[in-house]
Amino acid sequence: MSELATFQQAFALALAGEATAVAMFADPAVARALAVHRNTSAKAAQDALAANFPVVRALVGEDSFAACAAAFVERRPPCDPRLCLYGEGFAAFIADYPPFAEAPYLSDVAALERLVTEALFAADAEALDGAGFVRALDRDSPLILHPAVRFVAVGAPAASIWLAHQPDAPADALERLPWTQETVLVSRPAMSVQVAVIDAAALAFLKACQGGATVAEAALAAAAPDTDLSSLVATLIAAGAFRAALA
Amino acid sequence: MTAGLGFKTDHLAEALTSRAAGLWFEVHAENYMVEGGPRLAALLALRARRPIALHGVGLSIASVQPPAPEHLARLKALADRIEPAAVSDHLAWQRWEGGHHADFLPFPRTQAALDIVVDNVDRVQTALNRPLLVENPSLYADLPGHEMDEAEFLTQLAQRTGCGLLVDVNNIFVSAANLGFKAQARIDAIPGQLVGEIHLAGHACDGDPASPLLIDSHDAAVSDAVWALYRRLIARIGPRPTLIERDDKIPPFDVLMVEREIAQTIMVASGGAAEHV
Repeated sequence: MSELATFQQAFALALAGEATAVAMFADPAVARALAVHRNTSAKAAQDALAANFPVVRALVGEDSFAACAAAFVERRPPCDPRLCLYGEGFAAFIADYPPFAEAPYLSDVAALERLVTEALFAADAEALDGAGFVRALDRDSPLILHPAVRFVAVGAPAASIWLAHQPDAPADALERLPWTQETVLVSRPAMSVQVAVIDAAALAFLKACQGGATVAEAALAAAAPDTDLSSLVATLIAAGAFRAALA
Repeated sequence: MTAGLGFKTDHLAEALTSRAAGLWFEVHAENYMVEGGPRLAALLALRARRPIALHGVGLSIASVQPPAPEHLARLKALADRIEPAAVSDHLAWQRWEGGHHADFLPFPRTQAALDIVVDNVDRVQTALNRPLLVENPSLYADLPGHEMDEAEFLTQLAQRTGCGLLVDVNNIFVSAANLGFKAQARIDAIPGQLVGEIHLAGHACDGDPASPLLIDSHDAAVSDAVWALYRRLIARIGPRPTLIERDDKIPPFDVLMVEREIAQTIMVASGGAAEHV
């Protein structure tokens, strides 16, 4: 191993607090520098989590969030310099984080916020509009989901909680929460991330599309005695759920 | 040679409508090395009106591992879309065995380390097909094992790779205070012809009464001492594109524009601020 590699291995281990490595940087000035670098890199990762999970942070408060974020950063430090994408696995971590054991919905909200981040930075593509959908009816080709579309079924009203924390939410939105499980659609119509509660039929429709279904096949998957297919499709088109067919 | 501002998403409307002559912006490249979405669209909209410089915080050019190919590919894709006025990163490392330390880590400046950094900078410049500007980071302790000082290391790096230097005056002030060397002498040792850009920022103090350590926090206005060093540098080497950096406790756009105006004034006083980055 080269001298530089030996140094970087020792420094990286010392940053992680490994005792033998820390002892190699025992000089007080160097130990102090090590502490500054440890703090700076941890703070950058924790700030990224705070930016990417604002609703979880609002729900638990600054101090509790900071403690949880610090624990996560120690367990799963960043591996990508793009900290705007940091936080994969945070929802699962929260689910097993003892101080939040009494609030299992936090993990669901974190899972939703992760999807919001994914949607925010997903590839650009023109969304399918109503006219495009009508044309797609005549084709025997699959209905492709927009790259920013994400959906998930969660045990808590994660979408209603998320929506209640947005600037345009009514003041009493949190008090009027429907405390049920929710299926959530995250999409990015007109370049703005949107979160909506969808029903089982819409979920079946989207899942079918994810599996390569045509309009007719997706409609069949969503069909149930009480399904209003035209309203379902109108909602999904308004949400920018599908990608415009390539010319 | 004009002054620019670090671009903040919250300042998009002001940035798009500002009529300030010669204003340009810089962003952290990694925040835009994504597939798409509104933030990248905002940067492209800004680019239609103003020059943009891409400032990397993740190339890790002092790593023994060469820059990650997927990271380089994303940076190139962004640079090809933005056509940046400059691309820069730090004389530091962040990467070790798949982990990313979000800070600018130091290393012993040896001849062997220089060879590795030269190789990494060559790879970056070849991949991007653009020159890189390399920034001096803030230093917090004098590591054992240095074979040359920072100015000499950077000068040799520039001579061997053709890269330019991004002189962070605040980092020199912070490093000088922490390591006990003379900031003015360090400023005077910079070969002017290699300087492609200058950074100005604020710093913080860790509050230790016995031996305070200065921290490169980017959360305050540029200090008087840093302005004095900047004046000294510009008086000697002439105007250079100068960035006001602020990454935390971000004030309103107008407050940052006042600091930018100070830099502009210093450059004009030195004998001429040109129109372009």
